[in-house]
Amino acid sequence: MLEEIVKTYLVNAKHIDPAKFDQPNLQVSDLGLDSLDMVEMLFEVEDRCGFQLNDPMRYLDMSFADMLADIESQIRANNNGALPALTLESGR
Amino acid sequence: MGAISPLGVDRHQTFAAALDGNCAIRAAAPEIAKWLPHVVVAPAAANPEQLLDSKYAALDRATQFALLAAHEAMSEAGIGAKPEDAHRFGVYAGVGFGGAQTVDSLYERFYTLLHDSSQPGRNPTVMHPLSVPRMMANAPAALVSMRYGLNGPSNTYSVACASSAVALGEAFRAIRDGYLDAAVVLGTEAMLTPGALMAWNALRVMARPNAADPARSCRPFSKDRNGFVLGEGAAAIVLESEARVRARSQRVLGELCGYGCSSDADHLTAPSSVEQVRAMRQALADAGMQPAQIQYLNAHGTATDAGDVVETQSIRTVFGAAADRLAVSSTKSMHGHLIGASGILEFAISVMALEQGALPPTATLEVPDPRCDLDFVPLTARRNVEVDAVMSNSFAFGGSNVSLVARRYRA
Repeated sequence: MLEEIVKTYLVNAKHIDPAKFDQPNLQVSDLGLDSLDMVEMLFEVEDRCGFQLNDPMRYLDMSFADMLADIESQIRANNNGALPALTLESGR
Repeated sequence: MGAISPLGVDRHQTFAAALDGNCAIRAAAPEIAKWLPHVVVAPAAANPEQLLDSKYAALDRATQFALLAAHEAMSEAGIGAKPEDAHRFGVYAGVGFGGAQTVDSLYERFYTLLHDSSQPGRNPTVMHPLSVPRMMANAPAALVSMRYGLNGPSNTYSVACASSAVALGEAFRAIRDGYLDAAVVLGTEAMLTPGALMAWNALRVMARPNAADPARSCRPFSKDRNGFVLGEGAAAIVLESEARVRARSQRVLGELCGYGCSSDADHLTAPSSVEQVRAMRQALADAGMQPAQIQYLNAHGTATDAGDVVETQSIRTVFGAAADRLAVSSTKSMHGHLIGASGILEFAISVMALEQGALPPTATLEVPDPRCDLDFVPLTARRNVEVDAVMSNSFAFGGSNVSLVARRYRA
């Protein structure tokens, strides 16, 4: 679900071509996001998980898959190792 | 010129409705009425989000209004994005409260999540990262400069009810003094939110609903006035130097020719006739005109007892014997008080009066107040009149007084 939340946001709000996500080694920098776009994207996760992700700009040097893995590990660290049930629909 | 106001989605619809004496005042939205059942407001004629490209959906409502008014003004002026002289083209904005809607929803989100146990995973302190760029007072000017690629100054004036009158005057001076060749000037306001209206309610200046017809609750210069009605919307005007206009053979709607401003330096909210007189006289002197040369004055006319009586005295002092031949109206009777947008909206209405030879009425003046004894164009518009020059007054909380003069342009 985490991956779906991030992808849905990027496609709907930032008009990223969905076909891009089929590339196995997609880099975050390939998405053409600036720093403001990055924090907006991460808010989609933060709003649902209830905490701010650390140091978001380092994701610009990571692959898309590594970024998702890092976000997931931060969510687990904030939830005693568990991954809470996230929904595509945000609370806003 | 462009406008999105309680009276219409563009400037022509706004002025036509004003000439028809339509009053756009109504009960507040349910989420406000449940706390303040007696508050009436003047909402814009359309939801701006629905008239804009989806990329502007996340902006504050005040910025959305500004983009729409600027679009109409720039289109009418025949100016697209990235003009050749972009570095000589500025954006001057007047805003009273800035992103009121963003601020209100920020607090609403905080307190809702704080007390809502049904959403345990969410945290009241995690806010949207664009909250600050959305709520900052200069967001409308920033977005308009970005939309049109204008590299001149993008300045925002926050002078309460006089904000966009100051923006017009300062842009006029910047062009006249040679710092710029053109500017898009705008005024915008969108604070019909629960938080803002509760604050206004506490000031005890808001009109009670008129029993016979709530739409007619704002009653400037009428003996039965009881306060003003908050409205929302925006207006925009493209100002150009005479040389720039001539170079591109553009049709001119009118010439902004006089700007006066003064400060009472006395009281936060009470008006001062002395300084209102000074602002009007400065504007006339700036234009090189005599009072008798003005045919129409759009009054600040908020429908508070102190405001209406003091402004009447000030107009009499400035205009002397000519006051009895001057037509004065408060169009706030129809569109309410747009605070940061009121100065430019009312100036635009005055220029349309000049353009079309028609004077909008003080639509609700049913019971004349003997202390307010000017020709306030009561109830119905006056059409087919010769109008050569107009004045528009804006007097703000905080004691700022602004007067603007425009006349028919003669090449």
